[in-house]
Amino acid sequence: MKISLKWLSEYVDVPADTKAFCDRLDLTGTGVEGVEKTGAALDGVVVGHVQTCEAHPDSDHMHVVVVDVGAEEPVQIVCGAPNVAAGIKVPVATVGAVLPGDFKIKKSKLRGVTSCGMCCSRRELGMGTDHEGIWILPEDAPVGMPIADYLGLSDTVLDLEITPNRPDCLSVTGFAREVGAMYQCDWTDPLPAMAAELQLDATAVPVDETVSVDIEDAARCPRYTARVIRGCKVGPSPDWMVERLAAIGQRSINNIVDVTNYILFLFGQPLHAFDLGTLVGADGHANVVVRAAKEGEKLVTLDGEERSLTPDMTVIATPERGAVALAGVMGGLDTEVTDATVDILLEAATFEAGRTSRTSRNLGLISESSMRYERGVDDHGIEARSAAAAALVAAVSGGTVSRAAGNAWGIVDAWPRVSEAPRLQFRIPRFCAMMGADIPRDFVEDVLRRLGCEVGAGPDADALAVTAPTFRPDLVREIDLYEEVLRLWGMDRVPATLPGGRERVGVRTPEARAMDVVNATLRACGLNETMTYSFAEPGDLERLRMPREGLGEAVELINPLNAGQSVMRQSIVPGLLRSVAYNQSRGVRNVQLYETGIVFFAHEGKKQPKERRRVAGVLAGAMRDAGWNEAPAAFDFFDGKGVVESLARELALPKLRFKALSADEAPHLQPGRAAAVLSGGTELGWVGEVHPLAAEAFEAAAPVVAFELDVEALLRAARPARDYVDVPTLPAVSMDVAFVVDESVTCEKLMQCMASAGGKLLEDARLFDVYRDERRIGAHKKSMAFALTYRAADRTLTGEEADKAHERLVKKVCAATGAEVRG
Amino acid sequence: MAIVEEVAALRGQALAAIAQAADTAALEAVRVGVLGKSGTLTGYLRGMGQMPKEERAQVGKTVNEVRVEVEAALAARKEELAAAELAAAIDAAAVDVTLPGRAQQMGTRHLINGIIDEVSEIFLGLGYSVAEGPEVETCYYNFEALNAPADHPSRSLADTFYVVDRSGAECNVRGESDVLLRTQTSGVQVHAMEGRKLPIYVIAPGKVYRRDVADPSHLPQFHQIEGLVVDEGITFGDLKGTLDFLCKQVFGPERKTRFRAHFFPFTEPSAEVDVSCGICHGEGCRMCKGTGWLEILGCGMVDPNVLSMSGIDPEKYSGFAFGMGVERIACLKYNVPDLRMLLEGDMRFLRQF
Repeated sequence: MKISLKWLSEYVDVPADTKAFCDRLDLTGTGVEGVEKTGAALDGVVVGHVQTCEAHPDSDHMHVVVVDVGAEEPVQIVCGAPNVAAGIKVPVATVGAVLPGDFKIKKSKLRGVTSCGMCCSRRELGMGTDHEGIWILPEDAPVGMPIADYLGLSDTVLDLEITPNRPDCLSVTGFAREVGAMYQCDWTDPLPAMAAELQLDATAVPVDETVSVDIEDAARCPRYTARVIRGCKVGPSPDWMVERLAAIGQRSINNIVDVTNYILFLFGQPLHAFDLGTLVGADGHANVVVRAAKEGEKLVTLDGEERSLTPDMTVIATPERGAVALAGVMGGLDTEVTDATVDILLEAATFEAGRTSRTSRNLGLISESSMRYERGVDDHGIEARSAAAAALVAAVSGGTVSRAAGNAWGIVDAWPRVSEAPRLQFRIPRFCAMMGADIPRDFVEDVLRRLGCEVGAGPDADALAVTAPTFRPDLVREIDLYEEVLRLWGMDRVPATLPGGRERVGVRTPEARAMDVVNATLRACGLNETMTYSFAEPGDLERLRMPREGLGEAVELINPLNAGQSVMRQSIVPGLLRSVAYNQSRGVRNVQLYETGIVFFAHEGKKQPKERRRVAGVLAGAMRDAGWNEAPAAFDFFDGKGVVESLARELALPKLRFKALSADEAPHLQPGRAAAVLSGGTELGWVGEVHPLAAEAFEAAAPVVAFELDVEALLRAARPARDYVDVPTLPAVSMDVAFVVDESVTCEKLMQCMASAGGKLLEDARLFDVYRDERRIGAHKKSMAFALTYRAADRTLTGEEADKAHERLVKKVCAATGAEVRG
Repeated sequence: MAIVEEVAALRGQALAAIAQAADTAALEAVRVGVLGKSGTLTGYLRGMGQMPKEERAQVGKTVNEVRVEVEAALAARKEELAAAELAAAIDAAAVDVTLPGRAQQMGTRHLINGIIDEVSEIFLGLGYSVAEGPEVETCYYNFEALNAPADHPSRSLADTFYVVDRSGAECNVRGESDVLLRTQTSGVQVHAMEGRKLPIYVIAPGKVYRRDVADPSHLPQFHQIEGLVVDEGITFGDLKGTLDFLCKQVFGPERKTRFRAHFFPFTEPSAEVDVSCGICHGEGCRMCKGTGWLEILGCGMVDPNVLSMSGIDPEKYSGFAFGMGVERIACLKYNVPDLRMLLEGDMRFLRQF
């Protein structure tokens, strides 16, 4: 909200130091978003005294004048105005000034005579239409004074952030009260004097005989008042009101509308002026009805837009015309005050906050009125604010205000729901204890009073009885008063302490610690953590060729930002593939990324989706570029698998297994380079090379190795503690063997055979070579060479024993797998 | 020639050969030639038996003396050669130590999670635990239980992402739904108060969503760290002390904090917290838009309504809550010029942290 300090200072002392004032506003809860000095547009324009005036030697209408502008030397100006003369005082734009219309004053020569400035007309200063000649100022105008100061145009306008709980601050007088509380100084409320100006026309037909008000639903409209002002002459507003409104960015429309705006900004009371003639029915009577809009009812609002209404909106209507205004938001075009208007009906009302807010939200129509109604307008005092407005309308338009038969204020007053001022207690010791500061009782009482509360003695000596004002809908509980006192006393004055509570320890959950292990391991594997959007494009899974089974339905957004982000992700991999493509397209070939995050699975009949935490990674290119002493291999399936193996080791996952996934089971992966990851019988996820077509669909260059694991399954399988195994002290016997087997025999199969055949003596089997050669070992065959370690736990193993065990192992493995030992 | 003279000649030859041996292999060859099984000197010792008795003692003594002398020379020469060879090997093995080493490439933590780790660590030290909540929330936990009025503008379709409710329930606001992407981690407060024994000292870091188009200073998804304390005798001063400690830990001990009164539906009194600008130290500069202060978080004393709704007696317990934007801290600490970088996965960005 914009506040003119000049206007504000009519009601309260505003500190001269604007910076300090703004700081204090910031700290007490009113954010200052901007400080604007108006009148700055006339910088460089000063009061000048014309000392001499002579005819231009080379022109029949121009004069050469010498003007004292308060500087050391007077300036010479060539002036074309007919009314220039020696001895007068005029506004002078000096060199460097920029006049309205971006007209820059420069030193120039006019027909050979130097001119250092310009004597100005009103129009040239943007202050009216008079351009008959230069603006002759009164004789007592001080020479050299900036014209903005002389004319009182200098003002400072603050742009304030009023929090939604403070409707009272959305007006000059409400804000004056706040400033009074901030500085513990008095302020003057202009309302009583303004309302007292009201003169009711005793001869007029009483308003209650020509106007009736019906409120169909008090919940929508606690109070509605209407009054009639007849014989108005619609025209321009007086200068002072135009200036006031202009200072806070409001364009002058006409004297009637300007008064409603003036009262709105002065008291926070939205008003609406109808052309009474448009509301009156055939019987000469205006029946104003406040009711719910009908479904599909149409109204053309003041901005010329036709609005389609719904029953949750409230309208002002007449039986003849239907809706004539959108209650609390905007008036209708057909009933607005025009130049032809003579009689007006002035509405001053209060509408329910929530509905007003929803109506303006649903229509995308936010007005100065709706902004105030949605925060709350006080139903008390409307009669006085209406009176002040009517008195002003009468004064500026020459109209007369009708009396009312049943109301001293001259209004038709429907007030079905009267708000009550909450009576609260204020326990001072509890307040001080909760704030952690000793705030004196005197201060508490004074500040509450200045905010508009009534403060009396409470039930006991330490408590106050406080009645909060109805214009503060945010003050309904004791705690609300605490906030008021604390912010005005100063949060900065509260000593900083740390809670001293007992019974508390800071511990990480086992899950959090396990996640630390996961993160540390992935980083140790060279993967860089990233974050991608949780949003997904609806076809992402299809694009990835990932089967939907087990992933539920996509969580759909009702109001997505764009089609590409209209559902929530069901896999992290599409996002990571996009990041691979992002890097590759920028010439970064080596990509190692991982992300842990939530994926979402919706299910029919369930309100909230299932959220599963996943960890996924992608590897493309190599770990790094070739160096002087090493050439890192391009990533393939085994790099991904190695990451999973490292995770398994660090989490002590029991019985880790990799099971080949067929093209049907995992169409998103390249067949033959895809595996399910299992711990015992539990499937944890998958690892493999992304199918080249899937990679291409995300514009990523294959090969891309990826994995995605379910974190909960991973953490459930993880063992928190490890068992100690004796470090061997007895010597071992090492033997190598190479089995030639069919391609179909897996490493896992051989390892299982060796483990069962080797018995207790076989301590370790390590694959150290895989060799294929059609000529030497035959087609579709491979040689798998293992280094075997035999050791007895309780004695030194003899050569013969080891030989025997090895022989048995080889025989059994050959029998079970059809292997031959390679010589 | 008498044997003694022969041996003396042999001595001379052997010592000369030893002196001339160029390397340990040549020296070994000399040793084998003289002292080996079929070495020349060994031959004399072997032949002693055939020697006339009167010569034996003299020859034996001479041969032994020569042997001792030759062995000593061998040993000395060996040591000499070994030292020279080691020196040569060391010389040959010298490298340019400025060549790059053989380092394992370590991965990096994402900047945002790095900050969450740092803040979590600070609060663990203060005796807090870390809690989590769902990202898809109901209106109740995101708004109602936090005292947000039914018509609060932040609930609008323009600000909050709503999710299709598959339970078949009707929503009472047109176009909206009772299910949404959480707009704040504050909902975790409510879960914490419902599910935990008192006292509560908890922080909840997490991802939140707001309907802002991604641009250099906005993201539709970002992170917050929520903090909640509920205990007997908790004061506004405790809130100040805690956040002051946090800011000094995160930004440095020389930084100051200030509390500006503000409004949030779920706290009362409420405040926004600024930390003094690290660039101008309060003088005012471009970074802090001339104010000398940088806004970093919102906080306040837990509203008694929020406590009551979770079944906690506000007459007995009080508490404070705070919430901060992690991306905001990232920008303030690292001057990240464009928030979208946090979601692009650019290796050149990620590997800086």
